[in-house]
Amino acid sequence: MTTLDSGERRRTSDTRPVITDLIDEVTVESIAQEAWISLVGEDEVLVPLPGGPVADPVSSWVDVVGPWTGSVVLTTGRRTAEELTRALLREHSPEVLEDEDVADAFGEIANVVGGNVKAALPGSSGLSLPDVGEAPALRNPDDLCRVELQWRGEPLSISVQGALPPLPAVS
Amino acid sequence: MRALVIDDSRAMRRIVSGILEGLGYETQQAGHGREGLDALEGLAPDQLPDLVCVDWNMPVMDGLQFVSAVRSNPGWRSMTIMMVTSESEHTQIVRALAAGAHEYVIKPFTADAIRDKLALLGLLPQEAVL
Repeated sequence: MTTLDSGERRRTSDTRPVITDLIDEVTVESIAQEAWISLVGEDEVLVPLPGGPVADPVSSWVDVVGPWTGSVVLTTGRRTAEELTRALLREHSPEVLEDEDVADAFGEIANVVGGNVKAALPGSSGLSLPDVGEAPALRNPDDLCRVELQWRGEPLSISVQGALPPLPAVS
Repeated sequence: MRALVIDDSRAMRRIVSGILEGLGYETQQAGHGREGLDALEGLAPDQLPDLVCVDWNMPVMDGLQFVSAVRSNPGWRSMTIMMVTSESEHTQIVRALAAGAHEYVIKPFTADAIRDKLALLGLLPQEAVL
């Protein structure tokens, strides 16, 4: 007798990794520290302490598509993102920052952090162009590696978060 | 010496251009590979840049496509191409070098890292060597 697989029941081999199987907070923080020293300034450090709630939050992120698919999201306050932009541009910073300047600079930081997170993941993956705005929704709380930091006393978080909802439980 | 800096991020273009200008380069900028090709097409052979620094992930035309396009033009063979990108996987580096890039700098980088690569390529302006 032939049994047809309707696909309704998931096989036990149908698993996909969650980010905590692939990377840890220490690695994400180390990637961010390196990016900060290089892009923001040699004396600029990220303090690994939660900075409390973010006022007027803005996020920048890149998507990683591969064996693990998700986003690397940086979130901080808009004022802090502006300060970051000035630090990044140094003497090239315009007197009045446009939203576009902030999106460009904050997006580039996400690009550099995200590119290095991608490189730390197994297998080959693609990287999107950076985006800036309201952070993508968290689809699966178990597929999240998040570090909370402070820069110049202001809160900044980095979330490496899966883009896919949890798989249904195996019956 | 002349350099063309191609990156979709204005912040990164300013940073890379600033480093190169500090070393004595005259720089020109473009926001993606197509814009970079347009800039080169308008130049006489003796005005071509000695160095092109190009990002990988960009809209319109990415860095790898740009490198391939430059390498397919025999008139542009004199230019040295350095990829400056956050793509740091070994396979990506091999692809870029196979397409015709001479060097590869991974973001984040320091000014010293760029200087060291240029020294290796023999592209440090005289004033930066002294």
